[in-house]
Amino acid sequence: MIALSSPAFIIIVVTAMIILIFRDWRINAGALALQYIAVFILVSLSWPIGVAITKLIVGWMATAAIALTCMRQIPSEAPSEPTASLFFRGLAGLLVIMVIFVLAPSLQASMFPRLNLFIVQGGTMLIGMALMQLGTNAEPYLTIFSLLSFLAGFEVIHAGLELSTLLTGLMAIVNLSLALIGVYFIIKANENKSVSEEER
Amino acid sequence: MNIALSTPILWVIFPVVLAIVSGIFHRRQILNLLLTSLTAFVLTLLAVLLPETLTISIGPVVIQFSESLGFLGRQINLSYEILPFIAFGYGITGLWLIFSNIPVVPDYFRSVGLVITALLTAALGVEPFLYAALLIELAILVSILVLSPTQDKTSPGILRYLSLQTIAMPLILLAGWLLTGVETLPTDSPLVIQTMIVLGLGIALLLGVFPFHSWVPMVSQQANPTVVSFILMMLNTTILVFSLNFLDRYAFLREFQTIYTVLRLMGILMIIIGGAWIAYQENLKRSFGFAILSEIGFSLLCVGLYEKGGLTWLFLLFPARAIGLWLWGYSLTLIEQRSDSMLIQNLHGFARRYPILTLGLTVAQLSLAGLPLFASFPSKFAIFTAIFTLNPLMGIWGFLGNLGLFLFTFRMLSALLAPNEDKQIVGWSVSEKKKVYLPILVFILILIFLGLLPDVFLANITETLTSFTQLQ
Repeated sequence: MIALSSPAFIIIVVTAMIILIFRDWRINAGALALQYIAVFILVSLSWPIGVAITKLIVGWMATAAIALTCMRQIPSEAPSEPTASLFFRGLAGLLVIMVIFVLAPSLQASMFPRLNLFIVQGGTMLIGMALMQLGTNAEPYLTIFSLLSFLAGFEVIHAGLELSTLLTGLMAIVNLSLALIGVYFIIKANENKSVSEEER
Repeated sequence: MNIALSTPILWVIFPVVLAIVSGIFHRRQILNLLLTSLTAFVLTLLAVLLPETLTISIGPVVIQFSESLGFLGRQINLSYEILPFIAFGYGITGLWLIFSNIPVVPDYFRSVGLVITALLTAALGVEPFLYAALLIELAILVSILVLSPTQDKTSPGILRYLSLQTIAMPLILLAGWLLTGVETLPTDSPLVIQTMIVLGLGIALLLGVFPFHSWVPMVSQQANPTVVSFILMMLNTTILVFSLNFLDRYAFLREFQTIYTVLRLMGILMIIIGGAWIAYQENLKRSFGFAILSEIGFSLLCVGLYEKGGLTWLFLLFPARAIGLWLWGYSLTLIEQRSDSMLIQNLHGFARRYPILTLGLTVAQLSLAGLPLFASFPSKFAIFTAIFTLNPLMGIWGFLGNLGLFLFTFRMLSALLAPNEDKQIVGWSVSEKKKVYLPILVFILILIFLGLLPDVFLANITETLTSFTQLQ
């Protein structure tokens, strides 16, 4: 698995950038599903594969729940956006990547000396990009995607620090509940839209 | 006949199961109401009456409770010492649930309310105690269902609430891991400072402390006041008690004087922010959010005054605050039901039609502000006396901040009492029905009794402090 850690890190950077830049749920759901593979690889550096795979299963379940709801509830045409906003978000993402590359080694040395640098970089990259994403959108489903990414980043780092069955179980419940809240938000938004259209 | 049970089964698993059952019958309102509120009150009564031996004998049946329940290799411990707080939690849950039969309150509120209390009770007993952060997060996720019901648009305030609370959880877990490694280090070590910053950030995010407070007025403006008052009361109280664990378990934190100075400063800052914003607030629902910010400030101030007995005042404040917030939330819900707008300038003459509702709202606000004779006065008087002695400048700022709520109440009253020529409301009449005004009058009397005889009614809850062996 150590050989796969650098591709996993690259997947994290690319998918986090995709989720930050694009607003189409299909692209974002695909990127999030891919992101969980990278998370699984980085977690399996610290945990037995049998336990680490829970992160992948839970992540995919959460992504599937949101993606299937979006498929039924959100119109099929992709939202059009000015290139300038894509460019701006891309630049913001690049800034986060640079900051993480600069800060991660010193963070590893001072706080997490036992952890592999890829784990620290991968985890902080997910956290940083998710925070940037939270600051640049007000869409309920994108907020949930960001929070799932944020939690995944934390789980990558925390897996290297502690292995607890209860914690793993509770984190799985939190991730799935968050996804269900996302589903709830999407259905609610669509129902309210239908009601207001009927009233017109 | 001997029956073996455990306290977590009774106060965590049983209410969750019952909440699920009552959720299935959420459309049968009376059944749902009775099921959930009776459960809450029975659990309160059991927590009050359970003897130290944790044994109950009913005729030939002897029920022996154990304090802990194993769960996925870890424990949930609800010891005898924490029972007064559990009684308080379920008591106020019962209070909120039994008076929630108002059409504008979401259907699921009663079931969700019971689940939230059960999750927060589990959070107080889980070992290692840091895992409480996850249970608190689950309670927050469940609360979204009632704070943002299906018919309402998802507001930015709700998204901010969800985001900030979710970000807090990993910080608490990380701080917990860091704390185990820094216990033996000298207090001036950079790692100790880093740990305190991570922990402080986590708790500040959970409590909605400045600068993470913006969601509180946003959520209170949008959501139903009964729901908001319950969730903010339960969450803040549990988070505060959970946070005390850090001071109790880590001597280096307890002995680090800077923490208390920072807590006092943040407390005063929150009182000023809450007071300044509420003073010129126009929206009745939004003003409620700012009052909550002020109350968070008082709680932080109490912990900051730990060495002067602040924790006793903190625990004495909880029941007074709970009843004050309930009365405020209940009155606001009924006002919202009877009025087209919640803006003060659109409520001219309201008091002339609904004098008891106006009285309830006014008394709730004045009680929380700490007016003499009312429930919060004894604790707030003690807090102000202590802070004036310690640092007069801080005391003056805190006092000025607290005046904001008085100012708002008088502004609100002058508008509500004024005649409304446009709607032809000039004379006085009592339009409220008995079932509406009776609870308001009863709880106004309770607020007065709590203010007059705090030792008689509030002494029990301070016994919770005995579970924090190092903080007494």
